[in-house]
Amino acid sequence: MLINETRHSYRHFMETEVSTELQRLSQLLQQSWKMVRTPRMKTVLKVQNVACDAMRDYLKSEDFIELLPPIIGPVTDPGIRGAKQVTFDYYGREYKVMSSAILYKQAAMSGLGKIFFMSPNIRLEPLDSTLTGRHLTEFVQLDLEIAEANYFDAMSVAEKLLCEAVNVVRDSCAKELEELGRRIPAISPPFKKLTYDEALEYLRRVGLKVRYGVEIPWYGEHLLSKLVGEPFFIIDYPRGARGFYDREDDNRPGILRDFDLIYPEGFGEAASGAEREFRYERVLARMRENGEDPRKYAWYLEMLREGIPPSAGFGIGVERLTRFLCGLDSVIEARLCPKVAGIHSP
Amino acid sequence: MLFSRLLLKILLALQGVYSVFSDLSEIWRSYPFREIIERARKGVDAIYPEETLKPSIMLLKGANIYKQATRYATLDELLLLPPGFTPLRLKKMAELLREPIFSDVDLRHRVGGFNASMPVMVASMGSVQVANKISLDISRGAARVGVPLGVGENVATTWGYSRRIKSGQPCFKERVMTYLENLDGDVGGVTIQQSVEDAYNELWNKVYSDPDIEPYIQKGLVGFEIKVGQGSKPGLGGEVRLSRKEAERLRDKYHFSGDPAGSSVERHSAPGTYVPEILRGMVRLMRNNYPRCRVWVKLGPFRDLPQILEVLVSEGVDAVWIDGKEGGTGMSPLASMRHLGLPLVAAICSISEWLKSGDGSTSILVSGRLYDGGHLIKTLCLGLDGVALGRPVAVAGWVAGDRGVENYLRTVEVEAKMLVSALGKYSVQELSREDLCSLDRDIAERLGLRYIYS
Repeated sequence: MLINETRHSYRHFMETEVSTELQRLSQLLQQSWKMVRTPRMKTVLKVQNVACDAMRDYLKSEDFIELLPPIIGPVTDPGIRGAKQVTFDYYGREYKVMSSAILYKQAAMSGLGKIFFMSPNIRLEPLDSTLTGRHLTEFVQLDLEIAEANYFDAMSVAEKLLCEAVNVVRDSCAKELEELGRRIPAISPPFKKLTYDEALEYLRRVGLKVRYGVEIPWYGEHLLSKLVGEPFFIIDYPRGARGFYDREDDNRPGILRDFDLIYPEGFGEAASGAEREFRYERVLARMRENGEDPRKYAWYLEMLREGIPPSAGFGIGVERLTRFLCGLDSVIEARLCPKVAGIHSP
Repeated sequence: MLFSRLLLKILLALQGVYSVFSDLSEIWRSYPFREIIERARKGVDAIYPEETLKPSIMLLKGANIYKQATRYATLDELLLLPPGFTPLRLKKMAELLREPIFSDVDLRHRVGGFNASMPVMVASMGSVQVANKISLDISRGAARVGVPLGVGENVATTWGYSRRIKSGQPCFKERVMTYLENLDGDVGGVTIQQSVEDAYNELWNKVYSDPDIEPYIQKGLVGFEIKVGQGSKPGLGGEVRLSRKEAERLRDKYHFSGDPAGSSVERHSAPGTYVPEILRGMVRLMRNNYPRCRVWVKLGPFRDLPQILEVLVSEGVDAVWIDGKEGGTGMSPLASMRHLGLPLVAAICSISEWLKSGDGSTSILVSGRLYDGGHLIKTLCLGLDGVALGRPVAVAGWVAGDRGVENYLRTVEVEAKMLVSALGKYSVQELSREDLCSLDRDIAERLGLRYIYS
């Protein structure tokens, strides 16, 4: 039954024309500033506020330090699945707007140990991202990094962080959730961990073939997210599927020590994280593998050559979390004046 | 009488002069004096083929590598062998209810994930002025014929992505959109190369999120091409000569030869560093980041082609394009044209096993001094999926614009159809090694062909 239903929604996903969806969204967003006046959006943003406070409180109780996030720099995170970075002229040189704070996170961690940013990110996503309900070109991540930690430590923080947000919201936003008609499923750590291979096998059994070595496509994640029925991690992605900073397992060549956290109920990816590759030569080779010009990353490579501690961390998207907590169709409802790929809106 | 003697004397005198001249010229030709004098006069500039004034004449640069072709076998070493008994023609006749003729041959073929009206692609020409200048003619001609088109490296970085940097030189997007908008029917496809320097500007990401190109990505008509090497200079990066002013603008992105006195400078582009993991990683990254685009890889005539193919085929790339030593001579140093790499036929020999065992999921194309329908059909008989044509298309473009490109490609198409029908066959799939023989015993043995005199 469930499988038939997901098959149907998958087909719908594939058949929806990107251009039709763009047209619909474009109309919807022309007066996006008015959305914030609707009772529904007021409620959603209230829940978002409570969730952010809950996560901040939790992390501070665990001795994390919140830093103000850098927004621009000579380079930024290239591991953004085909999205385009924003480049601008900075006194005669090309600079980037942060697509994620990953590079600065490692720098901050090397000084302060356990840190996090509420980091605004810009990614000019491909137009088919408009079909997913969870892609904005401008969004905020709670982005954290832990010195001397491995990816299991990071996953442990991630699951507690999510549970904390859910519990606090459930307790203090009962009225809001009722208004939204939302019942958040009960969740508790530890979350299930599927390896990448197992996830592919799972999908294969319901009839979706994914090529080994690439990230699980959006609709695949959506399917898994519906089928598993609780939040879970996909771990151990193969090399090639992720950014150059995800660390390869020394004992299992080709396997990365990284993870994605997936929401249940079809809400898809919540967070993405990894243990970091901090060895200079390895990073250099991996950059080449990703078709990157190492010259571009001069400051970062210099930092690695001088040496930084091993670390692990992840980023969890605030609008996606809000979408899950409130049961929204799209992250568009979780942000003031949302920006969507290919649409010129206020 | 007197007159005859006078004539004889003159002839004898001339003969004397001629023999002196001929001796001198013998000496002159027996040693590369001219080249060494050029080197002494011009320094490092002299290691490239001579600069000529008109850009259209520059097309001929490196073409004289042809005169050295006798050093090694070319596809002209193979002959097509029509049979007298033609059971497949009988089959075709049953299908058509009449005697088939050459125009009944169906050359349509799937090339690297695209449908093509014939197994030909227009080779990816990059930012060199001579190719860029006529690139829109090439785009139109190739689109009308319905064959895939490559767009080479450094075009966006050198001539602009969507706006022209120089009024006479088309920018990147013009080249791509002119092709895509002129396509007709369900054939065609465009592949886009990205040099290390284009990667600096995220060219592929820009294309992938470009609303104008999106509908074509959705239709599966866009591919990205990793360039691991080029025929005449395997192991070396792109070289282009630019004016001082242009060099200044691109200062951060390329390596330049530092000659402050000259009015133009060479721009060197890095060849890129590969080991199996890096190449594998790049292919996966492309699948990951651009799931709706085809993945193409262009290789130079490397000695380890079978090993490279193994990586690429196991990663399921859509097409591998092998450029023989004879190809891509545009701006190659003389030394590399003379001394580097495997000639095309030798490169094909080195992957012979792959061609016999391949399951066809990855198209394998070749290029390098190929220009007629015979070349095309011979490669198909060997199990390859087609050819890439560069120089002849550019020459046709310079001579007669988009009509020229179209005319030229149509001649290849008609020739190919004639030859296939002569073999008693009517589709690309029916061609095989039985249709070929070789003038050379070693090649015959290596490729599993009949020796001509057997």
